[in-house]
Amino acid sequence: MIFLKRQLPLAITFVMGIAFTFQYYIPHPVSEDAITNVSKWMQIISGFALFLGLASLFHVHAVKITRQVPGWGFSLALYVAMIGTIVIGFWSHGETKVDGGQTAFGWLYDYTMVPLQGTMFSILAFFIASAAYRAFRARSREASVLLVAAVVVMMGRVPLGQFLLPWTWDVTQWLLNVLNSAVRRAILIGVSMGAVALSLKIILGIERSYLGGGRDQ
Amino acid sequence: MPEAMLPTEVVLGAWVAAGLTLFIYSFLYKDNPLFKLGEHLYVGISVGYSVVLAWHTVFLRLLWEPLQKAVGEAPASPDSYVLLIPATLGVFMLTRFIPQISWLSRIAFAFVVGFGSGVAIPRTISSYILKQIEDTVNPLLTMGAGGLTMGFDLAAPQSGVNTIILLVGVVSVLFYFFFSVEHTGAGMVTARTGIYFLMIAFGAAFGYTVMSRMSLLIGRFRDLITFAGAAYGYATLVLLAVTVLSLVGWELATRRKTGGASPE
Amino acid sequence: MKDFARRMVGIDRRIIFLLITAAILLPMLKPFGLPIKVSPEVKAVYDYIEAMPERSVFLLSFDFDPSSKPELEPQAVALLRHAFRKNLRVIGMTHWLTGTGLADGVFSAVAAETGKERGKDYAFLGWSPGGGALIISMGQDLYKAFPSDYSKTPTQGMPVLEGVRNLRDVNYMVSLAAGGSGIEMWYVFGKDKYRFEMAGGSTGVIAPGLYPFLRSGQINGLIGGLQGAAEYETLIGQKGMATAGMDAQSAAHFVIIALVLLCNVFYFMLRGEQGRPR
Repeated sequence: MIFLKRQLPLAITFVMGIAFTFQYYIPHPVSEDAITNVSKWMQIISGFALFLGLASLFHVHAVKITRQVPGWGFSLALYVAMIGTIVIGFWSHGETKVDGGQTAFGWLYDYTMVPLQGTMFSILAFFIASAAYRAFRARSREASVLLVAAVVVMMGRVPLGQFLLPWTWDVTQWLLNVLNSAVRRAILIGVSMGAVALSLKIILGIERSYLGGGRDQ
Repeated sequence: MPEAMLPTEVVLGAWVAAGLTLFIYSFLYKDNPLFKLGEHLYVGISVGYSVVLAWHTVFLRLLWEPLQKAVGEAPASPDSYVLLIPATLGVFMLTRFIPQISWLSRIAFAFVVGFGSGVAIPRTISSYILKQIEDTVNPLLTMGAGGLTMGFDLAAPQSGVNTIILLVGVVSVLFYFFFSVEHTGAGMVTARTGIYFLMIAFGAAFGYTVMSRMSLLIGRFRDLITFAGAAYGYATLVLLAVTVLSLVGWELATRRKTGGASPE
Repeated sequence: MKDFARRMVGIDRRIIFLLITAAILLPMLKPFGLPIKVSPEVKAVYDYIEAMPERSVFLLSFDFDPSSKPELEPQAVALLRHAFRKNLRVIGMTHWLTGTGLADGVFSAVAAETGKERGKDYAFLGWSPGGGALIISMGQDLYKAFPSDYSKTPTQGMPVLEGVRNLRDVNYMVSLAAGGSGIEMWYVFGKDKYRFEMAGGSTGVIAPGLYPFLRSGQINGLIGGLQGAAEYETLIGQKGMATAGMDAQSAAHFVIIALVLLCNVFYFMLRGEQGRPR
């Protein structure tokens, strides 16, 4: 049993990892067939993984409702919205449009989910303005450089800035293409080396946290 | 000319969308039940939508229909049943909720993580490391009609002078992040240079983030302005008044309950 | 003066919220319409599509959801208008589940406006899970990755997909991305092996991080945020949502710049008072 719980998953990770690392360099029909099939399988397994995430959300709010913790009424609203959407979705066969006409599911998406999600994120505009006013101070030379770069980019990226101070456009272009690229590239190279090292540790069984905790770890 | 009548479902949709948008914006005054309702509805509807779409795509489109077709065409061939492998692994993944057999989910995770790590290594090295280094060490001199020349045009991203600046930036930022030795002498100069490069990039990122967030607000305001029109029954204006009155009522009721203290 | 500065530093944030609201709302109600300047990175995308022969295959991946709609929807609309005008065969899809309805809506609306037919001139494949694995799957066999399109029509035998077996048969692709599951992912798992030309359209937040890929030629162009969308609208000569929003964008940026400057003026006025100001 210990073999099934511990060694087998590590062996599968090792075999899959090694096989698909080398697959990239070996475009043989057998290896191409393997990646064709397995990538398709991964699509399906990822779909199941999605349900795993959604199910934990069901659970969190179900607990809030059954224990009637403060604000449980909102969790109930969440459940009603969720079950209502699922019922309407299945009733509409998962289609948002049929013959060019909108289904009830499509209506729900367009007039509830789109505005709600859009507004939730747009609200950050107000907080970024407030933060700019309260925290964006030239306390040091470094902070001053940051501030000047931000102001130049904000000017150079809108028509009014380009109209009033045309040079901000060229400076912004240079700043993004050269100075910003250098930093992003350095970070990218660093992070990628870390990612490759992590992948190797996973394949070799050194990093095992993805298997979850428990006594059999 | 009178405006064309909009279909009822569109007008109703406008009222719902405008109302929910204003509920969320009521947070700008302070956290309140209208915002909380909007927030929870958002999560509920998103999850519901995801469940429906995932079911139709994963179970029906990717699994059930191809399986049915393959088995229908060649019921005796083992190849027809090959999709049962990912289906089984997918079910294994869901066993994480059943403690007695949750170890089965490890097999599924091992399969996914092993594949993910395997395909990531060569591609990450090729795309993120080698290609990026290749462009960082571009030649400074180019052979033209007048012999070897070096470009000094700052406006041309690939010019020689920009290549030098880029190289200095990449090396100094990498040095700043990776060399945890004490930064003294030449090391300090390099690390300081890296910090200035970082500050400029953060400044650019801030500028772009402002641009992005303001664009989102413009998008929502566009809808609110549209829904404020006569064709939509002045939905935005009416609902704005309703939202404000509700907030006033809630504020008064809570103050009465807490003996004059503002609810926060 | 210092009292005034102190009061201003501690101003109620809701006044700032009102300022931002006014900065956005007023130009939207009364636009002033400044000209839009086009950057080389946006022009590169336009030029590539412009040079593509009729019936070439153009893949547009909607890698965003309603949270980024105002920035990326105008890009999608402008790109689709251009592609349909050039009579390209357009394949649409999304990696973001919650963006599926949005992507389908944009496709349907632009196709109706330009008189294009689903299945013949374009296909919307919808959403499928997997991320990188999905791209590999499409690179190996498009029909295994998407056995049917969003409206449940089998992809095999669809006129728009004639001659298209996998990503190697795609002539150009643009990923409209709001996060990591977008442009970089398409490069790493797609272009790196299957060798199609590609560009990116992105939100403002992630745009600066994509410039290294632009420099190295891994993407041949980049449309960044609402400004990028407005530039594309200018190039195709059909003004839309992005151009209409740029006046409000300008005003909002100027209010933010003014707030930053004011914050620093008050900061310097109060500097030295009890060590440091709040």
